[in-house]
Amino acid sequence: MSEVSLYEQLGGEPAVDAAVDVFCRKVLADERIAQFFDTVDMDAQRAKQKAFLTFAFGGPNHYAGRDMRKAHAQMKLTEDHFNAVMENLGATLKELGVPDELIGKAAGIALSVKSEVLNK
Amino acid sequence: MTGDAPTLRYRGARYAFAPGESVLECLLRHGVDIEHSCRQGVCQSCLLRVREGTPPKEAQVGLKQAWRAQGYALGCKLAAHSDLALDIVDAAPWHEAVVERVERLSPQLGRVWLRVPETFAYEPGQFVQLSRDDGLVRPYSIASEPSQGRLELHVAVAPHGRMSQWLVNARVGTALNVRGPFGECFYLPGQPEQKLILAATGAGLAPLLGVLRSALHNGHRGAIYLYHGSRHAAGLYLWRELRALASEVPHLSVIGCVREGEAQTHVRAVERLEDAVLHDHPALRGVRLFLCGNPEFVQRLRKRAYLAGASLDQIHSDPFVTASR
Repeated sequence: MSEVSLYEQLGGEPAVDAAVDVFCRKVLADERIAQFFDTVDMDAQRAKQKAFLTFAFGGPNHYAGRDMRKAHAQMKLTEDHFNAVMENLGATLKELGVPDELIGKAAGIALSVKSEVLNK
Repeated sequence: MTGDAPTLRYRGARYAFAPGESVLECLLRHGVDIEHSCRQGVCQSCLLRVREGTPPKEAQVGLKQAWRAQGYALGCKLAAHSDLALDIVDAAPWHEAVVERVERLSPQLGRVWLRVPETFAYEPGQFVQLSRDDGLVRPYSIASEPSQGRLELHVAVAPHGRMSQWLVNARVGTALNVRGPFGECFYLPGQPEQKLILAATGAGLAPLLGVLRSALHNGHRGAIYLYHGSRHAAGLYLWRELRALASEVPHLSVIGCVREGEAQTHVRAVERLEDAVLHDHPALRGVRLFLCGNPEFVQRLRKRAYLAGASLDQIHSDPFVTASR
């Protein structure tokens, strides 16, 4: 029996595309974490956030634990920074009318890499 | 033969490359005479075709779809690696052009009109490359609308600018070559009610004037805001012409911004042009923007416009990158 994946339930790539601008604007405007996105190259920034959202949506991705650790190692991130991203993710999905149950699942996926991101 | 030393092939010859260098750097280091200008992936002077293998995306930024599919890439953004086979491009042939008029607006700025073949099609706001007899190539944006018959270019005169100094002093009848057009900073008809914001520093006004003319020519009905920024009021060239146009076209606003000097009617005194734009238009959802001139300005406003709700594919930009040598 095949189950409908979270990625499919959320609407696949079109859903990611709909979410990425909302999420990107929230994250870049969030004073707690904006410093980590201090770049003017919006195309690269948007691509990164899209990769993250695809991952959190349970979609096809190229994220691997070791890469996650390496990518975030120099940033000295704290629990608060991580939580701020999680909040923005939740608020984005809420804004797009995603049911709470699915938001919870996406948050669970993002949480699964917490120790790598915080380099613990 | 050098045995297994990594090389790239270009026009039948092989060139050893140093780690980390671009194809353009490698060829120039070996004394290969290859057209180039900005070295930053913007001006498209060093367009090459990769015969074997697929060029990476970053070496094809800004190229039209048909060219990307055919393996065209920019030499300055193409990392040299083993057995990269390259061809010189003939995708954009050169056309003969003749200087028809030169107008010196200030010590720093001139307007040049070129006569080009009637078959030379372009959208106002795109850019062309000009080539002089000695092979010097530089990009210039188009301010004219095709129905005007001649190509109007604005030339910012750089102190040691070989092409700019030469152009503003060129006699009527001087021949040169032109190819293109390039770039995606132009007005697409459709959504005639949409609000347009055009913002430029310095000679970035040229492509915006092209976009403005094109929008009006196509019957755009939505509000159009044109911002021109400069250090001093003297740098707001064509000011009277633009103000005259604004008084004829009710839905056009022309706003000048200066960093030094006093505010006047229609001229703001602001540190940064993007502050004036965002002050006047804090919400940019659904707005089409055209940003030209100083690359840092273009990048900063692009980011802020995006955060203010504009979608990235509605922000057209043309950063002016100075030639590296």
